[in-house]
Amino acid sequence: MSSLAVYVVAAAAVFGVGVYGLIVADHVLRKLLALNMMGSAVFVLMVAVSGSAQGRPDPVAQALVLTGIVIAVAATAFALALLVRIHHDTGRVTLSERGDDDD
Amino acid sequence: MTTEALAGLVFVPLVAGMVAMLLPARAAGVLVIAALALVPVLLWPVTLAVWHGGPVLVELGGFGPPLGIVWRADPLALSMLWFTALVALLVSLHALAGFRPETAEGRRFWPQWPILIAAINALYLSADLFNLYVTLELVTLGAVVLISVGSKSVAMIAAMRYLLLALMASLFYLLATALIYGQTGTLDLYLAGERLQDGTLAAAALMLMITGLLLKSAIFPLHMWLPAAHGNAPWSVSAILSALVVKASLYIVLRVWFWTAVGIDTQMAATFLGVLGAIAILYGSLAALVQERLKMLIAYSTVAQLGYVMLLFPLASTAAFRGVTMHLVAHGFAKAAMFLAAANILRALGHDRLRRMTGIDQKLPIDLAAFALAGVSIMGLPPSGGFLGKWLLLEAAWARSGWGWMAVIVLGSLIAAAYVFRVAALSMFGSGRAGRVEVPRTLASMTALALALVAIALGFAAAPFFALIDRGLPPGMLP
Amino acid sequence: MTPELLVDVILAVGLVALSLRVVSGGELFRDIVVFIVFGLVVALSWARLGSPDLALAEAAIGAGVTGALMLMAYRRLASRSGGASGDRSRRLRLAAPVAVLAGTAVAIIGLAALGIDGASDSGGAAALAALPATGLGNPVTGVLLMFRGLDTLLELVVLLVVLLGAWAMMIPGPPPALHLVSRDTPLVAALLTIAAPLCVLVAVHLLVVGADEPGGAFQAGAVLAAGGVLLVLTGVLRPSREAGPVIRLAVLVGPAAFVVVGVSAMAFGRPVMELPGLWAVYLIETAMMISIAVTLSLLFGRSGGFRRGGP
Repeated sequence: MSSLAVYVVAAAAVFGVGVYGLIVADHVLRKLLALNMMGSAVFVLMVAVSGSAQGRPDPVAQALVLTGIVIAVAATAFALALLVRIHHDTGRVTLSERGDDDD
Repeated sequence: MTTEALAGLVFVPLVAGMVAMLLPARAAGVLVIAALALVPVLLWPVTLAVWHGGPVLVELGGFGPPLGIVWRADPLALSMLWFTALVALLVSLHALAGFRPETAEGRRFWPQWPILIAAINALYLSADLFNLYVTLELVTLGAVVLISVGSKSVAMIAAMRYLLLALMASLFYLLATALIYGQTGTLDLYLAGERLQDGTLAAAALMLMITGLLLKSAIFPLHMWLPAAHGNAPWSVSAILSALVVKASLYIVLRVWFWTAVGIDTQMAATFLGVLGAIAILYGSLAALVQERLKMLIAYSTVAQLGYVMLLFPLASTAAFRGVTMHLVAHGFAKAAMFLAAANILRALGHDRLRRMTGIDQKLPIDLAAFALAGVSIMGLPPSGGFLGKWLLLEAAWARSGWGWMAVIVLGSLIAAAYVFRVAALSMFGSGRAGRVEVPRTLASMTALALALVAIALGFAAAPFFALIDRGLPPGMLP
Repeated sequence: MTPELLVDVILAVGLVALSLRVVSGGELFRDIVVFIVFGLVVALSWARLGSPDLALAEAAIGAGVTGALMLMAYRRLASRSGGASGDRSRRLRLAAPVAVLAGTAVAIIGLAALGIDGASDSGGAAALAALPATGLGNPVTGVLLMFRGLDTLLELVVLLVVLLGAWAMMIPGPPPALHLVSRDTPLVAALLTIAAPLCVLVAVHLLVVGADEPGGAFQAGAVLAAGGVLLVLTGVLRPSREAGPVIRLAVLVGPAAFVVVGVSAMAFGRPVMELPGLWAVYLIETAMMISIAVTLSLLFGRSGGFRRGGP
């Protein structure tokens, strides 16, 4: 097994763990942790599968990941702002099903 | 000239949003509307170029595939761009009445709104898998921000659920993009399509990508986030979500399916997607029928109407493609009209409970008329655009002897008729009289009516619309 | 097994183990810390995969900024309630099918990814071939600014949209002061006099070398933002509610510079989004760094702007 294959397998596993965490976790903060780990897994996979040129990983893949990292932190920052506001207004930190229909 | 106009479709609204952040509130509103009014003007030269010379391609920065990003304006993209531009302009006029620029909500809404339009336009133009990811994230985040501009708790919780699922969906999409780039060495939709061989990798990538996109487009059974988000969003925002935002991800599904996955055997998957669409039509329509609130009813109707688009995959013919593009556009206008009318009714009554609406036919006639006319297109009665879309789908199913598909299309229309008539009946003959009624601003009611009329008028504008669509049918489409 | 491969295996096992730890439930605060450690292991993996650009970015943004934002949010949430009780029955009901689903996803992804044999005529190869003509030495910077500039521009717009969203979500009333540490203690004062200028120095260095070596506007912006966070935490800067014109301009300057340069290319008969030379790369990267740093600091401070703290 090559080094790249090791990272591919690990990334696939972390992605699966992230999906599980995102769906099963109750606390939104923990869902966001899971989501971010899924993101990291996709990024690692992206670089690991796109091969290398001149001993360095594919520069396009690296640039995409860099863009992806910034988008991930931005989305997380907004989700946290939303969560803090929801918690401030309702005291909730979870997303249970009740209360969707009220106006 | 064409290139400049094409760039303007993205940069004019984007710059308007950025400048709006610096301007006093009232000037920001005027600027945004002026910028959005410029978009249809910019679309003319592009449309003429595509009409006479086929798809317009622009290599950004001068770098083409396999490295660079290409903008590609073809008939499908153009029809979505036109529809977005017109809906956006009318919705902006409606938004003026409820999100007045100098209020707190208005200050949040007006810089954000043109940036969302810029993102949607960039998405329709992009022929690059990763660039589509970035625009898709921009559209999602912009939509979630708009849902929460009213700071209502129910809306914010729905926004949060939507955000989490949409971010997960994006990662599915991005993972597939990574696999495709690894295999083909390019992100260009078309070049990747040429290089992608049928096999495990292509199947896995396609499955991940489509799953992610269907989650974003709320296709049954991945629709669970939509009703709460669309039904609780404030004022004009529900219309923006149901008419424009869900179409963006659905558009990418069509692009990837019919232009990138050309060399891949998708027969079984196509039937599966068609079945999902059929269930969505029946389930969404029935759920709409039993809703207690007007906006929730309209939201479930969106779940049903999006199902019709899925029928394109098993039917896959020219008639079906024409039908689905017409349906996408007609549904957009009609659904925007319905949600704007519902917003006006909600504002006038202070609630949107169907059982306490009796008498609004007297007090809010324009809004009720807008809802009913939009309903004509939604249930697929002639001469509306909705009728044409569904009729062509029926024709396509007939040509394939797809009796099951035909039954679903007809049943969906019947149930749609039932839920539209239920609203009309309850507002005229119900027992729960509406209390205090505040008559909405005329502008807000007129925009809803105008959108509904466009949905109807599309039936008369079918000839040029289909002539345009026929200039860019997907490869390998049956006649 | 070679020693290199052993290191890779250890890192990979670490990634999976840490991710399992984070989702398995328990004390949330501890799991956020575990998540930050996870981010650092990812950064190490980037170094092992041969990408110092990404290692820098992951450490600064992935682990650093994200972790800081998470901890800050945790503090806000914990301060008012003792943590809402979770709905345990739902968790148990969901766990098994979700685990199966996730496992299937893993298998599919792993199988598909391992089967990739790569393309010879790839975008990456094209980027390396096109690089010498640009005068840049770092191909990643080339891709971000010149070859695929629209991605980068739209990503700056994502930051802008998110900031507008965070402003819309601001809790009514004056934003609470964030400073956790007093400036009066000699240690903190010394830290400030060293760390704040150091952040600026490192940021500028990263920005300048980014053209040829690892680094660039994102890493520089993140480091600068860390300096901003430090100033907020020590109370030198206080969050304020309203965003003044200076803050708004600082937030807009990055995307604005990119748009102006990219669009004006058309006036000279050049393709839209083409950069006219290295000076444009430096100009845009500097503007981007400012916007990224200010935006991230504002997101961290959950505020519209900043004003100078009292003595």
